[in-house]
Amino acid sequence: MTITGSSRRPGQTPSTSAVRQLVLLAFAFLSLFPPLLILSTAIRTPEDVRTAPFDLFTSFSVENIAAAWTRANFSEYFLNSVLLAVPSTVLVVVLATAAGYAFARCAFLGRDLLFYAMMLGLLVPFFTIMIPLYFQLRQLGLLDTLIGAILVLTMTQLAFGTFMMRSFFIDIPNEFEQAARVDGASEWQIFLHVMLPFVRSAAGALTVFAFLQNWNNFLVPLLYLPGGEYRPLTAGLYLLASGRTLDIGPLAAGSLLTVLPVIAVFLVAQRQLLRGFMAGAVKG
Amino acid sequence: MAAVREAGVTATRRAKARLGVLLAAPAMALMALFFLFPLVSAGYFSLTSWNGVVPQAPFVGLRNFVEMLTDGQVWHALANNAIWIVIGTAAPLVIGLLLAVLLWSGARGVLAYRLAFFLPYVLPQVVIGIAWTWIYDPVYGWVNKVLNAIGLDALARGWLGEPDTALFAVLATAIWATFGFAVVIFLAALQNVDLDLVDAARIDGANALQRLVHVVLPQIMPVFLMVTTVILVGGFSVFDIVFIMTGGGPGNATEVLGTYAFENAFTLNRVGYGTALALMVTLLSLPFVIILNRMQRRHVQEKAG
Repeated sequence: MTITGSSRRPGQTPSTSAVRQLVLLAFAFLSLFPPLLILSTAIRTPEDVRTAPFDLFTSFSVENIAAAWTRANFSEYFLNSVLLAVPSTVLVVVLATAAGYAFARCAFLGRDLLFYAMMLGLLVPFFTIMIPLYFQLRQLGLLDTLIGAILVLTMTQLAFGTFMMRSFFIDIPNEFEQAARVDGASEWQIFLHVMLPFVRSAAGALTVFAFLQNWNNFLVPLLYLPGGEYRPLTAGLYLLASGRTLDIGPLAAGSLLTVLPVIAVFLVAQRQLLRGFMAGAVKG
Repeated sequence: MAAVREAGVTATRRAKARLGVLLAAPAMALMALFFLFPLVSAGYFSLTSWNGVVPQAPFVGLRNFVEMLTDGQVWHALANNAIWIVIGTAAPLVIGLLLAVLLWSGARGVLAYRLAFFLPYVLPQVVIGIAWTWIYDPVYGWVNKVLNAIGLDALARGWLGEPDTALFAVLATAIWATFGFAVVIFLAALQNVDLDLVDAARIDGANALQRLVHVVLPQIMPVFLMVTTVILVGGFSVFDIVFIMTGGGPGNATEVLGTYAFENAFTLNRVGYGTALALMVTLLSLPFVIILNRMQRRHVQEKAG
Protein backbone atom coordinates (compact mmCIF):
# COMPACT_ATOMS: atom_id res chain seq x y z
CA MET A 1 0.00 0.00 0.00
CA THR A 2 1.35 3.40 -0.93
CA ILE A 3 0.42 6.25 1.31
CA THR A 4 1.69 8.99 -0.95
CA GLY A 5 -1.59 9.63 -2.74
CA SER A 6 -1.80 10.17 -6.45
CA SER A 7 1.19 10.80 -8.60
CA ARG A 8 -0.96 13.07 -10.69
CA ARG A 9 -1.07 16.19 -8.58
CA PRO A 10 -3.88 18.60 -9.12
CA GLY A 11 -2.28 21.91 -10.09
CA GLN A 12 -1.92 23.40 -6.65
CA THR A 13 -1.47 27.10 -6.31
CA PRO A 14 1.29 28.03 -3.82
CA SER A 15 -1.20 29.69 -1.46
CA THR A 16 -3.47 26.66 -0.98
CA SER A 17 -0.36 24.60 -0.58
CA ALA A 18 0.84 26.84 2.27
CA VAL A 19 -2.57 26.77 3.96
CA ARG A 20 -2.62 23.01 3.62
CA GLN A 21 0.79 22.67 5.23
CA LEU A 22 -0.22 25.05 8.01
CA VAL A 23 -3.38 23.09 8.85
CA LEU A 24 -1.45 19.83 8.88
CA LEU A 25 1.27 21.31 11.06
CA ALA A 26 -1.27 22.71 13.52
CA PHE A 27 -2.96 19.35 13.96
CA ALA A 28 0.36 17.52 14.20
CA PHE A 29 1.41 19.93 16.93
CA LEU A 30 -1.91 19.37 18.71
CA SER A 31 -1.46 15.60 18.51
CA LEU A 32 2.08 15.65 19.84
CA PHE A 33 1.74 18.30 22.53
CA PRO A 34 0.15 16.20 25.34
CA PRO A 35 2.65 13.34 24.99
CA LEU A 36 5.46 15.90 24.94
CA LEU A 37 4.06 17.50 28.08
CA ILE A 38 4.27 14.10 29.81
CA LEU A 39 7.83 13.57 28.60
CA SER A 40 8.90 17.06 29.62
CA THR A 41 7.39 16.83 33.09
CA ALA A 42 8.91 13.40 33.65
CA ILE A 43 12.46 14.50 32.88
CA ARG A 44 12.58 17.85 34.68
CA THR A 45 13.98 18.19 38.18
CA PRO A 46 11.43 17.69 41.00
CA GLU A 47 12.00 21.24 42.34
CA ASP A 48 11.47 22.67 38.89
CA VAL A 49 8.23 20.73 38.50
CA ARG A 50 7.06 21.94 41.91
CA THR A 51 7.60 25.62 41.15
CA ALA A 52 6.41 25.66 37.53
CA PRO A 53 4.51 22.39 37.02
CA PHE A 54 3.89 22.35 33.30
CA ASP A 55 6.60 24.49 31.75
CA LEU A 56 8.32 22.68 28.92
CA PHE A 57 11.85 21.25 29.05
CA THR A 58 13.30 23.80 31.50
CA SER A 59 15.65 21.36 33.19
CA PHE A 60 16.85 17.80 32.92
CA SER A 61 17.00 15.06 35.54
CA VAL A 62 16.08 11.41 35.82
CA GLU A 63 15.12 11.87 39.47
CA ASN A 64 11.38 11.58 38.85
CA ILE A 65 11.82 8.42 36.85
CA ALA A 66 14.08 6.93 39.51
CA ALA A 67 11.54 7.88 42.19
CA ALA A 68 8.67 6.34 40.26
CA TRP A 69 10.65 3.17 39.61
CA THR A 70 11.98 2.64 43.14
CA ARG A 71 9.60 4.39 45.52
CA ALA A 72 6.24 4.61 43.76
CA ASN A 73 6.04 0.89 42.90
CA PHE A 74 6.24 1.42 39.17
CA SER A 75 8.82 -1.36 38.70
CA GLU A 76 6.27 -3.72 40.19
CA TYR A 77 3.44 -2.28 38.08
CA PHE A 78 5.61 -2.62 35.00
CA LEU A 79 6.25 -6.29 35.68
CA ASN A 80 2.54 -6.86 36.27
CA SER A 81 1.70 -5.13 32.99
CA VAL A 82 4.03 -7.56 31.22
CA LEU A 83 2.57 -10.54 33.11
CA LEU A 84 -0.95 -9.52 32.04
CA ALA A 85 -0.42 -8.26 28.50
CA VAL A 86 1.96 -10.88 27.12
CA PRO A 87 0.05 -14.08 27.99
CA SER A 88 -3.31 -12.58 27.06
CA THR A 89 -1.92 -11.45 23.70
CA VAL A 90 -0.49 -14.91 22.96
CA LEU A 91 -3.83 -16.46 23.91
CA VAL A 92 -5.78 -14.05 21.71
CA VAL A 93 -3.62 -14.78 18.67
CA VAL A 94 -3.60 -18.57 19.13
CA LEU A 95 -7.31 -18.93 19.92
CA ALA A 96 -8.44 -16.42 17.29
CA THR A 97 -6.32 -18.04 14.58
CA ALA A 98 -7.69 -21.48 15.38
CA ALA A 99 -11.29 -20.29 15.60
CA GLY A 100 -10.89 -18.06 12.55
CA TYR A 101 -9.81 -21.07 10.51
CA ALA A 102 -12.66 -23.19 11.81
CA PHE A 103 -15.27 -20.53 11.03
CA ALA A 104 -13.79 -19.75 7.62
CA ARG A 105 -13.07 -23.15 6.14
CA CYS A 106 -14.59 -26.01 8.14
CA ALA A 107 -18.28 -26.81 7.82
CA PHE A 108 -19.65 -28.21 11.07
CA LEU A 109 -23.00 -28.36 12.75
CA GLY A 110 -23.99 -25.09 14.42
CA ARG A 111 -21.05 -23.18 12.97
CA ASP A 112 -22.97 -20.08 11.91
CA LEU A 113 -24.86 -19.92 15.18
CA LEU A 114 -21.61 -20.10 17.16
CA PHE A 115 -20.03 -17.49 14.94
CA TYR A 116 -22.90 -15.05 15.44
CA ALA A 117 -22.83 -15.70 19.17
CA MET A 118 -19.16 -14.80 19.17
CA MET A 119 -19.68 -11.70 17.04
CA LEU A 120 -22.07 -10.39 19.70
CA GLY A 121 -18.80 -9.59 21.43
CA LEU A 122 -18.17 -6.88 18.82
CA LEU A 123 -21.58 -5.34 19.44
CA VAL A 124 -21.89 -5.36 23.20
CA PRO A 125 -19.68 -2.86 25.03
CA PHE A 126 -17.58 -4.34 27.80
CA PHE A 127 -19.21 -2.36 30.55
CA THR A 128 -22.57 -4.00 29.84
CA ILE A 129 -21.17 -7.24 31.23
CA MET A 130 -18.62 -5.82 33.66
CA ILE A 131 -20.96 -5.95 36.65
CA PRO A 132 -22.13 -9.60 36.37
CA LEU A 133 -18.61 -10.60 35.36
CA TYR A 134 -17.31 -9.22 38.64
CA PHE A 135 -19.61 -11.45 40.68
CA GLN A 136 -19.00 -14.42 38.40
CA LEU A 137 -15.21 -14.14 38.83
CA ARG A 138 -15.70 -13.86 42.58
CA GLN A 139 -17.79 -17.03 42.56
CA LEU A 140 -15.22 -18.90 40.45
CA GLY A 141 -12.43 -17.83 42.79
CA LEU A 142 -10.79 -15.95 39.92
CA LEU A 143 -11.20 -12.46 41.34
CA ASP A 144 -7.82 -10.95 42.18
CA THR A 145 -5.91 -13.67 40.33
CA LEU A 146 -3.60 -13.22 37.35
CA ILE A 147 -5.28 -16.05 35.49
CA GLY A 148 -8.72 -14.47 35.87
CA ALA A 149 -7.56 -11.09 34.57
CA ILE A 150 -5.63 -12.70 31.70
CA LEU A 151 -8.69 -14.70 30.60
CA VAL A 152 -10.93 -11.63 30.73
CA LEU A 153 -8.40 -9.56 28.76
CA THR A 154 -8.22 -12.37 26.19
CA MET A 155 -12.00 -12.40 25.91
CA THR A 156 -12.12 -8.64 25.22
CA GLN A 157 -10.03 -9.11 22.04
CA LEU A 158 -11.25 -12.51 20.93
CA ALA A 159 -14.32 -11.56 18.89
CA PHE A 160 -12.39 -8.98 16.91
CA GLY A 161 -9.41 -11.30 16.50
CA THR A 162 -11.50 -14.22 15.30
CA PHE A 163 -13.41 -12.00 12.89
CA MET A 164 -10.17 -10.63 11.49
CA MET A 165 -8.40 -13.99 11.11
CA ARG A 166 -11.50 -15.53 9.56
CA SER A 167 -11.60 -12.86 6.87
CA PHE A 168 -7.98 -13.65 5.95
CA PHE A 169 -8.55 -17.41 5.89
CA ILE A 170 -11.58 -16.96 3.62
CA ASP A 171 -9.42 -15.26 0.99
CA ILE A 172 -7.03 -18.21 0.53
CA PRO A 173 -7.79 -19.98 -2.79
CA ASN A 174 -9.10 -23.55 -2.51
CA GLU A 175 -6.47 -24.92 -4.90
CA PHE A 176 -3.73 -24.95 -2.25
CA GLU A 177 -5.83 -27.01 0.10
CA GLN A 178 -6.86 -29.46 -2.62
CA ALA A 179 -3.30 -29.91 -3.88
CA ALA A 180 -2.12 -30.76 -0.37
CA ARG A 181 -4.99 -33.21 0.06
CA VAL A 182 -4.08 -34.98 -3.19
CA ASP A 183 -0.56 -35.27 -1.81
CA GLY A 184 -2.02 -37.11 1.16
CA ALA A 185 -1.79 -34.42 3.82
CA SER A 186 -4.13 -34.78 6.77
CA GLU A 187 -6.58 -31.98 7.67
CA TRP A 188 -4.41 -31.05 10.64
CA GLN A 189 -1.30 -30.91 8.43
CA ILE A 190 -3.13 -28.78 5.88
CA PHE A 191 -4.05 -26.31 8.63
CA LEU A 192 -0.54 -26.20 10.09
CA HIS A 193 1.66 -26.31 7.02
CA VAL A 194 -0.46 -24.99 4.16
CA MET A 195 -2.92 -22.48 5.62
CA LEU A 196 -1.07 -20.97 8.58
CA PRO A 197 1.82 -19.59 6.48
CA PHE A 198 -0.72 -17.56 4.47
CA VAL A 199 -1.92 -15.66 7.53
CA ARG A 200 1.45 -15.11 9.20
CA SER A 201 1.45 -11.37 8.63
CA ALA A 202 -2.20 -11.07 9.60
CA ALA A 203 -1.41 -12.85 12.85
CA GLY A 204 1.46 -10.40 13.32
CA ALA A 205 -0.93 -7.49 12.87
CA LEU A 206 -3.32 -9.01 15.40
CA THR A 207 -0.45 -9.53 17.86
CA VAL A 208 0.47 -5.85 17.73
CA PHE A 209 -3.11 -4.70 18.00
CA ALA A 210 -4.06 -7.04 20.85
CA PHE A 211 -0.89 -6.26 22.78
CA LEU A 212 -1.58 -2.54 22.72
CA GLN A 213 -5.20 -3.06 23.77
CA ASN A 214 -4.22 -5.40 26.60
CA TRP A 215 -1.34 -3.24 27.77
CA ASN A 216 -3.56 -0.14 27.79
CA ASN A 217 -6.59 -1.81 29.38
CA PHE A 218 -7.61 0.03 32.48
CA LEU A 219 -10.97 -1.25 33.65
CA VAL A 220 -10.17 -4.98 33.78
CA PRO A 221 -7.27 -4.67 36.26
CA LEU A 222 -9.00 -1.91 38.20
CA LEU A 223 -12.13 -3.98 38.77
CA TYR A 224 -10.90 -7.55 38.82
CA LEU A 225 -7.53 -7.12 40.57
CA PRO A 226 -8.69 -5.04 43.53
CA GLY A 227 -6.13 -6.41 45.99
CA GLY A 228 -3.22 -4.56 44.41
CA GLU A 229 -0.79 -7.46 44.30
CA TYR A 230 -1.04 -7.74 40.50
CA ARG A 231 -1.77 -4.10 39.76
CA PRO A 232 -0.43 -3.03 36.33
CA LEU A 233 0.74 0.40 35.18
CA THR A 234 -2.63 1.73 34.06
CA ALA A 235 -4.43 0.96 37.31
CA GLY A 236 -1.42 2.13 39.34
CA LEU A 237 -1.38 5.42 37.46
CA TYR A 238 -5.10 5.93 37.96
CA LEU A 239 -4.84 5.35 41.70
CA LEU A 240 -1.82 7.65 41.94
CA ALA A 241 -3.59 10.35 39.90
CA SER A 242 -6.75 10.19 41.98
CA GLY A 243 -4.86 10.13 45.27
CA ARG A 244 -4.96 12.99 47.73
CA THR A 245 -1.29 13.92 47.74
CA LEU A 246 -0.70 14.66 44.12
CA ASP A 247 2.96 14.40 43.19
CA ILE A 248 3.17 15.46 39.58
CA GLY A 249 6.78 14.41 38.95
CA PRO A 250 6.37 10.68 39.69
CA LEU A 251 2.94 10.75 38.02
CA ALA A 252 4.57 12.03 34.82
CA ALA A 253 7.40 9.51 35.15
CA GLY A 254 4.89 6.69 35.66
CA SER A 255 2.98 7.85 32.60
CA LEU A 256 6.20 7.85 30.63
CA LEU A 257 6.99 4.29 31.73
CA THR A 258 3.49 3.29 30.64
CA VAL A 259 3.65 4.81 27.18
CA LEU A 260 7.27 4.04 26.26
CA PRO A 261 6.52 0.40 25.31
CA VAL A 262 3.38 1.57 23.51
CA ILE A 263 5.32 4.10 21.46
CA ALA A 264 8.11 1.60 20.75
CA VAL A 265 5.62 -0.99 19.48
CA PHE A 266 3.75 1.69 17.59
CA LEU A 267 6.84 2.98 15.78
CA VAL A 268 8.28 -0.44 14.99
CA ALA A 269 5.02 -2.07 13.96
CA GLN A 270 2.74 0.73 12.78
CA ARG A 271 2.41 -0.92 9.39
CA GLN A 272 1.10 -4.14 10.94
CA LEU A 273 -1.09 -2.17 13.29
CA LEU A 274 -2.71 -0.37 10.38
CA ARG A 275 -3.18 -3.69 8.60
CA GLY A 276 -4.99 -5.00 11.65
CA PHE A 277 -7.26 -1.98 11.76
CA MET A 278 -8.04 -2.10 8.07
CA ALA A 279 -8.64 -5.84 8.09
CA GLY A 280 -11.01 -5.72 11.02
CA ALA A 281 -12.68 -2.59 9.82
CA VAL A 282 -12.92 -2.64 6.07
CA LYS A 283 -12.97 -6.26 5.02
CA GLY A 284 -16.14 -7.07 6.92
CA MET B 1 -15.41 -45.57 -8.79
CA ALA B 2 -17.83 -42.68 -8.22
CA ALA B 3 -18.96 -44.26 -4.97
CA VAL B 4 -15.39 -44.49 -3.78
CA ARG B 5 -14.74 -40.87 -4.61
CA GLU B 6 -17.93 -39.84 -2.85
CA ALA B 7 -16.95 -41.80 0.22
CA GLY B 8 -13.58 -40.02 0.12
CA VAL B 9 -15.26 -36.62 -0.06
CA THR B 10 -17.53 -37.48 2.86
CA ALA B 11 -14.57 -38.69 4.90
CA THR B 12 -12.70 -35.48 4.13
CA ARG B 13 -15.72 -33.40 5.08
CA ARG B 14 -16.04 -35.30 8.35
CA ALA B 15 -12.36 -34.91 9.16
CA LYS B 16 -12.63 -31.21 8.43
CA ALA B 17 -15.72 -30.82 10.58
CA ARG B 18 -13.92 -32.58 13.44
CA LEU B 19 -10.92 -30.31 13.09
CA GLY B 20 -13.23 -27.28 12.93
CA VAL B 21 -14.96 -28.19 16.17
CA LEU B 22 -11.62 -28.85 17.82
CA LEU B 23 -10.15 -25.53 16.71
CA ALA B 24 -13.19 -23.42 17.55
CA ALA B 25 -13.80 -25.04 20.93
CA PRO B 26 -11.22 -23.21 23.09
CA ALA B 27 -12.21 -19.76 21.81
CA MET B 28 -15.90 -20.61 22.09
CA ALA B 29 -15.46 -21.94 25.63
CA LEU B 30 -13.75 -18.71 26.71
CA MET B 31 -16.41 -16.56 25.07
CA ALA B 32 -19.19 -18.63 26.62
CA LEU B 33 -17.71 -18.40 30.10
CA PHE B 34 -16.59 -14.76 30.17
CA PHE B 35 -18.93 -13.11 27.71
CA LEU B 36 -22.14 -14.99 26.92
CA PHE B 37 -22.78 -16.21 30.44
CA PRO B 38 -22.29 -12.76 32.04
CA LEU B 39 -24.44 -11.30 29.27
CA VAL B 40 -27.29 -13.64 30.21
CA SER B 41 -26.60 -12.82 33.87
CA ALA B 42 -26.87 -9.13 32.97
CA GLY B 43 -30.31 -9.81 31.58
CA TYR B 44 -31.27 -11.58 34.80
CA PHE B 45 -29.64 -9.03 37.16
CA SER B 46 -31.50 -6.25 35.41
CA LEU B 47 -34.78 -7.82 36.52
CA THR B 48 -33.75 -7.92 40.17
CA SER B 49 -33.08 -5.43 42.93
CA TRP B 50 -29.92 -7.27 43.98
CA ASN B 51 -27.47 -5.35 46.17
CA GLY B 52 -24.54 -7.66 45.45
CA VAL B 53 -24.46 -8.97 49.02
CA VAL B 54 -27.49 -11.14 49.81
CA PRO B 55 -27.30 -14.62 48.26
CA GLN B 56 -30.77 -14.53 46.70
CA ALA B 57 -31.45 -11.68 44.26
CA PRO B 58 -35.01 -10.34 44.74
CA PHE B 59 -36.87 -10.52 41.44
CA VAL B 60 -38.67 -7.29 40.55
CA GLY B 61 -39.56 -7.75 36.89
CA LEU B 62 -39.29 -4.62 34.79
CA ARG B 63 -39.29 -2.25 37.76
CA ASN B 64 -35.70 -1.09 37.09
CA PHE B 65 -36.60 -0.09 33.57
CA VAL B 66 -39.70 1.73 34.77
CA GLU B 67 -37.60 3.53 37.38
CA MET B 68 -35.25 4.73 34.65
CA LEU B 69 -38.10 6.61 32.99
CA THR B 70 -38.68 8.68 36.11
CA ASP B 71 -35.04 8.95 37.21
CA GLY B 72 -33.94 12.50 36.39
CA GLN B 73 -30.30 11.43 36.59
CA VAL B 74 -30.86 8.98 33.76
CA TRP B 75 -32.31 11.65 31.50
CA HIS B 76 -29.48 14.00 32.40
CA ALA B 77 -26.92 11.29 31.62
CA LEU B 78 -28.75 10.43 28.41
CA ALA B 79 -28.65 14.07 27.32
CA ASN B 80 -24.89 14.11 27.94
CA ASN B 81 -24.57 10.89 25.94
CA ALA B 82 -26.53 12.51 23.12
CA ILE B 83 -24.24 15.55 23.07
CA TRP B 84 -21.29 13.20 23.17
CA ILE B 85 -22.60 11.06 20.32
CA VAL B 86 -23.40 13.99 18.01
CA ILE B 87 -20.31 16.16 18.55
CA GLY B 88 -18.00 13.28 19.40
CA THR B 89 -18.88 11.50 16.15
CA ALA B 90 -19.15 14.48 13.81
CA ALA B 91 -15.90 16.17 14.87
CA PRO B 92 -13.51 13.23 14.30
CA LEU B 93 -15.24 12.46 10.98
CA VAL B 94 -14.93 16.04 9.70
CA ILE B 95 -11.39 16.60 10.98
CA GLY B 96 -10.38 13.12 9.85
CA LEU B 97 -11.73 13.59 6.34
CA LEU B 98 -10.20 17.06 6.02
CA LEU B 99 -6.74 15.93 7.09
CA ALA B 100 -6.88 12.73 5.08
CA VAL B 101 -7.79 14.63 1.90
CA LEU B 102 -5.04 17.20 2.57
CA LEU B 103 -2.51 14.40 2.94
CA TRP B 104 -3.84 12.49 -0.04
CA SER B 105 -3.87 15.33 -2.52
CA GLY B 106 -0.19 15.98 -2.20
CA ALA B 107 1.48 17.04 1.02
CA ARG B 108 5.09 16.52 1.96
CA GLY B 109 5.98 14.20 4.85
CA VAL B 110 2.82 12.09 4.71
CA LEU B 111 4.32 9.29 6.79
CA ALA B 112 5.40 11.65 9.58
CA TYR B 113 1.99 13.31 9.72
CA ARG B 114 0.24 9.97 9.72
CA LEU B 115 2.35 8.83 12.68
CA ALA B 116 1.74 12.08 14.56
CA PHE B 117 -2.03 11.98 14.06
CA PHE B 118 -2.32 8.32 14.92
CA LEU B 119 -0.22 8.43 18.09
CA PRO B 120 -3.02 9.66 20.41
CA TYR B 121 -5.20 6.75 19.35
CA VAL B 122 -2.75 4.17 20.71
CA LEU B 123 -2.01 5.89 24.02
CA PRO B 124 -3.68 4.49 27.15
CA GLN B 125 -6.77 6.43 28.24
CA VAL B 126 -5.29 6.89 31.71
CA VAL B 127 -2.25 8.71 30.34
CA ILE B 128 -4.42 10.78 27.99
CA GLY B 129 -6.61 11.71 30.95
CA ILE B 130 -3.63 12.73 33.07
CA ALA B 131 -2.03 14.84 30.32
CA TRP B 132 -5.25 16.67 29.54
CA THR B 133 -6.07 17.25 33.20
CA TRP B 134 -2.78 19.14 33.33
CA ILE B 135 -3.57 21.05 30.14
CA TYR B 136 -6.91 22.13 31.66
CA ASP B 137 -5.34 22.99 35.04
CA PRO B 138 -6.92 26.25 36.25
CA VAL B 139 -3.63 27.80 37.43
CA TYR B 140 -0.77 26.26 35.47
CA GLY B 141 -2.60 24.69 32.52
CA TRP B 142 -1.70 25.49 28.94
CA VAL B 143 -5.24 26.35 27.80
CA ASN B 144 -5.40 29.21 30.28
CA LYS B 145 -1.77 30.15 29.62
CA VAL B 146 -2.50 30.54 25.93
CA LEU B 147 -5.72 32.45 26.58
CA ASN B 148 -3.89 34.83 28.88
CA ALA B 149 -1.09 35.26 26.38
CA ILE B 150 -3.44 36.33 23.61
CA GLY B 151 -5.40 38.69 25.87
CA LEU B 152 -8.46 36.52 26.39
CA ASP B 153 -7.98 36.34 30.16
CA ALA B 154 -11.72 36.58 30.63
CA LEU B 155 -12.18 33.15 29.08
CA ALA B 156 -9.67 31.42 31.34
CA ARG B 157 -11.29 29.11 33.88
CA GLY B 158 -11.07 25.75 35.62
CA TRP B 159 -12.22 23.79 32.62
CA LEU B 160 -12.79 20.44 34.32
CA GLY B 161 -13.96 21.95 37.59
CA GLU B 162 -16.87 24.00 36.27
CA PRO B 163 -20.17 22.35 35.38
CA ASP B 164 -20.64 24.46 32.24
CA THR B 165 -17.37 23.46 30.60
CA ALA B 166 -16.46 20.07 32.09
CA LEU B 167 -18.40 17.92 29.62
CA PHE B 168 -17.01 19.75 26.60
CA ALA B 169 -13.49 19.68 28.01
CA VAL B 170 -13.61 15.89 28.38
CA LEU B 171 -15.31 15.57 24.99
CA ALA B 172 -12.53 17.63 23.37
CA THR B 173 -10.02 15.20 24.86
CA ALA B 174 -11.94 12.27 23.43
CA ILE B 175 -12.07 13.91 20.00
CA TRP B 176 -8.33 14.53 20.23
CA ALA B 177 -7.82 10.84 20.93
CA THR B 178 -10.05 9.69 18.05
CA PHE B 179 -9.59 11.83 14.96
CA GLY B 180 -6.26 10.20 14.05
CA PHE B 181 -8.02 6.86 13.68
CA ALA B 182 -10.34 8.47 11.11
CA VAL B 183 -7.42 10.12 9.27
CA VAL B 184 -5.51 6.89 8.89
CA ILE B 185 -8.44 4.77 7.76
CA PHE B 186 -9.75 7.45 5.37
CA LEU B 187 -6.29 7.96 3.91
CA ALA B 188 -6.00 4.25 3.19
CA ALA B 189 -9.45 4.24 1.58
CA LEU B 190 -8.60 7.27 -0.56
CA GLN B 191 -5.83 5.28 -2.26
CA ASN B 192 -8.54 3.39 -4.15
CA VAL B 193 -10.40 6.44 -5.41
CA ASP B 194 -10.70 6.67 -9.19
CA LEU B 195 -8.72 9.77 -10.15
CA ASP B 196 -10.19 9.92 -13.66
CA LEU B 197 -13.56 10.73 -12.15
CA VAL B 198 -12.00 13.48 -10.03
CA ASP B 199 -10.28 14.94 -13.09
CA ALA B 200 -13.50 14.75 -15.10
CA ALA B 201 -15.35 16.64 -12.38
CA ARG B 202 -12.63 19.28 -12.33
CA ILE B 203 -12.92 19.76 -16.08
CA ASP B 204 -16.68 20.10 -15.64
CA GLY B 205 -15.97 22.99 -13.30
CA ALA B 206 -16.60 21.36 -9.90
CA ASN B 207 -14.74 23.14 -7.09
CA ALA B 208 -12.75 21.32 -4.44
CA LEU B 209 -15.66 20.98 -2.02
CA GLN B 210 -18.03 19.76 -4.73
CA ARG B 211 -15.44 17.24 -5.91
CA LEU B 212 -15.02 16.01 -2.34
CA VAL B 213 -18.73 15.67 -1.61
CA HIS B 214 -19.95 14.39 -4.98
CA VAL B 215 -17.02 12.45 -6.38
CA VAL B 216 -14.59 11.38 -3.65
CA LEU B 217 -16.92 10.77 -0.69
CA PRO B 218 -19.32 8.39 -2.52
CA GLN B 219 -16.35 6.26 -3.50
CA ILE B 220 -15.16 5.80 0.09
CA MET B 221 -18.70 5.58 1.52
CA PRO B 222 -18.43 1.99 2.88
CA VAL B 223 -15.31 2.95 4.84
CA PHE B 224 -16.86 6.25 5.89
CA LEU B 225 -19.91 4.43 7.29
CA MET B 226 -17.69 1.89 9.03
CA VAL B 227 -15.69 4.61 10.79
CA THR B 228 -18.97 6.34 11.68
CA THR B 229 -20.28 3.13 13.25
CA VAL B 230 -17.13 2.53 15.28
CA ILE B 231 -17.02 6.08 16.67
CA LEU B 232 -20.78 6.28 17.22
CA VAL B 233 -20.96 3.04 19.17
CA GLY B 234 -17.99 4.28 21.21
CA GLY B 235 -20.07 7.37 21.98
CA PHE B 236 -22.92 5.32 23.41
CA SER B 237 -20.65 3.29 25.61
CA VAL B 238 -18.27 6.10 26.59
CA PHE B 239 -16.90 5.34 30.01
CA ASP B 240 -13.13 5.22 30.57
CA ILE B 241 -12.17 8.78 29.74
CA VAL B 242 -15.04 10.34 31.74
CA PHE B 243 -14.42 8.02 34.66
CA ILE B 244 -10.72 8.89 34.64
CA MET B 245 -10.97 12.66 34.13
CA THR B 246 -14.01 13.69 36.19
CA GLY B 247 -15.70 10.55 37.53
CA GLY B 248 -18.97 12.10 36.34
CA GLY B 249 -18.48 15.37 38.23
CA PRO B 250 -18.33 18.16 39.13
CA GLY B 251 -21.69 17.50 40.72
CA ASN B 252 -23.07 15.35 37.96
CA ALA B 253 -22.13 17.64 35.07
CA THR B 254 -20.30 14.97 33.08
CA GLU B 255 -22.39 11.98 34.13
CA VAL B 256 -23.02 9.62 31.22
CA LEU B 257 -25.00 6.37 31.28
CA GLY B 258 -21.78 4.39 31.69
CA THR B 259 -20.53 6.25 34.77
CA TYR B 260 -24.02 6.29 36.28
CA ALA B 261 -24.33 2.52 35.82
CA PHE B 262 -20.92 2.00 37.41
CA GLU B 263 -21.79 4.25 40.33
CA ASN B 264 -25.03 2.41 40.98
CA ALA B 265 -23.45 -1.03 40.86
CA PHE B 266 -20.20 -0.46 42.71
CA THR B 267 -20.73 2.61 44.90
CA LEU B 268 -24.43 2.56 45.76
CA ASN B 269 -24.70 -1.26 45.86
CA ARG B 270 -27.60 -1.16 43.41
CA VAL B 271 -26.32 -3.99 41.24
CA GLY B 272 -29.70 -4.72 39.65
CA TYR B 273 -30.36 -1.12 38.66
CA GLY B 274 -26.78 -0.55 37.48
CA THR B 275 -26.89 -3.63 35.29
CA ALA B 276 -30.23 -2.57 33.81
CA LEU B 277 -28.67 0.80 32.93
CA ALA B 278 -25.66 -0.82 31.30
CA LEU B 279 -27.95 -3.09 29.30
CA MET B 280 -29.99 -0.08 28.23
CA VAL B 281 -26.92 1.44 26.56
CA THR B 282 -26.49 -1.62 24.35
CA LEU B 283 -30.18 -1.68 23.48
CA LEU B 284 -30.13 2.01 22.56
CA SER B 285 -27.11 1.65 20.29
CA LEU B 286 -28.40 -1.45 18.47
CA PRO B 287 -30.75 0.34 16.00
CA PHE B 288 -27.93 2.67 14.93
CA VAL B 289 -25.54 -0.24 14.42
CA ILE B 290 -28.11 -2.11 12.34
CA ILE B 291 -29.04 0.90 10.19
CA LEU B 292 -25.41 1.86 9.54
CA ASN B 293 -24.53 -1.75 8.79
CA ARG B 294 -27.38 -1.99 6.26
CA MET B 295 -26.26 1.23 4.59
CA GLN B 296 -22.71 -0.01 4.45
CA ARG B 297 -23.75 -3.28 2.89
CA ARG B 298 -25.86 -1.51 0.30
CA HIS B 299 -22.92 0.68 -0.70
CA VAL B 300 -20.60 -2.28 -0.96
CA GLN B 301 -23.12 -4.06 -3.19
CA GLU B 302 -23.63 -0.98 -5.34
CA LYS B 303 -19.90 -0.75 -5.83
CA ALA B 304 -19.62 -4.44 -6.66
CA GLY B 305 -22.69 -4.55 -8.90
